[in-house]
Amino acid sequence: MKQKLMWIAWPSFLMAAVLELLVFAVVDPESLHWFGQPIEMSRQAVYTLGFFVFWLAVSIAGALTMLLAMSPQEVNHPL
Amino acid sequence: MSESKPPVKKVIPLTVSTAPIEPPPGADPELVSLYQAHKKIYPRSVSGLFSRWRWLLVWLTQIIFYGLPWLEWGQRQAVLFDLEARRFYIFGLVLYPQDFIYLTGILVIAAYSLFLFTAVAGRLWCGYACPQTVYTEMFLWLEKLAEGDRSMRMRRDAAPWTLEKFARKAWKQAMWIALALWTGFTFVGYFTPIQVLAGEFARWDLGSWEIFWSFFYAFATYGNAGFMREQVCKYMCPYARFQSAMFDKDTLVVTYDRERGEPRGARSKKADLSTLGLGSCVDCSLCVQVCPTGIDIRNGLQYECIGCGACIDVCDTVMDKVGYPRGLVKYSTEHALEQHWTKQQTLRHVLRPRVLIYSGILGVVVVAMAISLALRIPFKVDVVRDRGSLARIAEGGKIENVFRIQVMNASEQTQNFHLSVEGLPNLEVASEKDISVESTQSRWVAVRLQLPYEGAPPGSHTIHFKIDAKDLGKSVSEKAVFIVPR
Repeated sequence: MKQKLMWIAWPSFLMAAVLELLVFAVVDPESLHWFGQPIEMSRQAVYTLGFFVFWLAVSIAGALTMLLAMSPQEVNHPL
Repeated sequence: MSESKPPVKKVIPLTVSTAPIEPPPGADPELVSLYQAHKKIYPRSVSGLFSRWRWLLVWLTQIIFYGLPWLEWGQRQAVLFDLEARRFYIFGLVLYPQDFIYLTGILVIAAYSLFLFTAVAGRLWCGYACPQTVYTEMFLWLEKLAEGDRSMRMRRDAAPWTLEKFARKAWKQAMWIALALWTGFTFVGYFTPIQVLAGEFARWDLGSWEIFWSFFYAFATYGNAGFMREQVCKYMCPYARFQSAMFDKDTLVVTYDRERGEPRGARSKKADLSTLGLGSCVDCSLCVQVCPTGIDIRNGLQYECIGCGACIDVCDTVMDKVGYPRGLVKYSTEHALEQHWTKQQTLRHVLRPRVLIYSGILGVVVVAMAISLALRIPFKVDVVRDRGSLARIAEGGKIENVFRIQVMNASEQTQNFHLSVEGLPNLEVASEKDISVESTQSRWVAVRLQLPYEGAPPGSHTIHFKIDAKDLGKSVSEKAVFIVPR
């Protein structure tokens, strides 16, 4: 279980860093809008939040992959 | 050991049992874990050629890493990736988000360097320069300082808790945490002025995101270098899994000379090798003890091997002690071992198509990037049509189009720019033609262009704005469209 968590958390951490780089190279947080309203957050706050949102989203993708990669035995006989 | 003793040969049974595998009592018979339980690895410290190289690289990379943020360049930090202002400062260079292409260039260079090094000599990156290795090495050194070398640590860990054990462990933790915090602080110092950050820490003013990231990075360093260690390389690192794609039979890797070493076994120092029937390996198991990932190099190349050369160093000292030639474990290639090449022959095979292609691409990208940086114009211009109106009639019956022009000054001096326009006869800039922009700032200006009545047929006409920077001796031309209404 611990190993599976590592497999999910670490690659998604790396990819979150890549996404952060790509997205915020192009997007200036100060020009972002939230339901038509400008976001009242500092750039650092948006960078930070962005990183964790990316991390979470990619982690979920990884977790789903792990789930689907389980063998029938593992599914039929859970711990 | 007498000379008449028959040769010792280890026979490893290779038969596969057909009997069903009995699950351990109490276990779910369907559930057999394929993963070995993690055993803590206590790497023994080692000294020798490769260990000296590693320490040299630890010093080199860390002096740069810890020192660079403190270096000043004029009035500012020499290397600062200012995320707040969205400007990257690298010595004399100021980069904007629009210069993203250079980042891509650096990443391409990094990737091809990695390919090249891997093709030539395997996992040089892992063994000597990877932060995981470098920080693990530093953390291990602190651990040795507090708790002693391998055998002492193992004995103490197995023993019950005493005041001394607690004190030593506490001292180690304190040193680890201090190093991790300093590392986190330095890392964030690349993104926010480090002097300001130091002030915030000094005042214990821990409100900002920068402080959060300092602690986050410190925590990651502490966890990865103090606890995860070889598990990062074995279970988490993608490079460890795909590096074999860059290997071939001429790649230098850490290898055990099986032909020379086997059959392995202990022997007395005075014994004559030729009559014993033993190989050079004295089976002292030191190569296993020093291995940071806990493998036995004598089992051949394994993906866990990070190519650190610790086993080479320790085996060489053993060979020296027993009076055998060095190099039972050494950097060699698969072909060299097979065909008994000399060192020169092996090195001659370094220059093969794969290496030449990697080097060629790397060279081209480096040169292209250097040229592009040298020719880079240190200001940028964006032209946007005014959204309010397409065209209007100004005083004197002139046709007027309004544009908004952004001028970004990426130099560190105030620049005066001169604006002109070409593409239609008698087209003129009716607003201010001279724009001054302060260093590393950008400015939006409204520009009115006027054309005499019936100066051009109705429709859109392509025009070019020309922006001259007198002091820089450079100019930029930007395309735009001038609309003449019907």
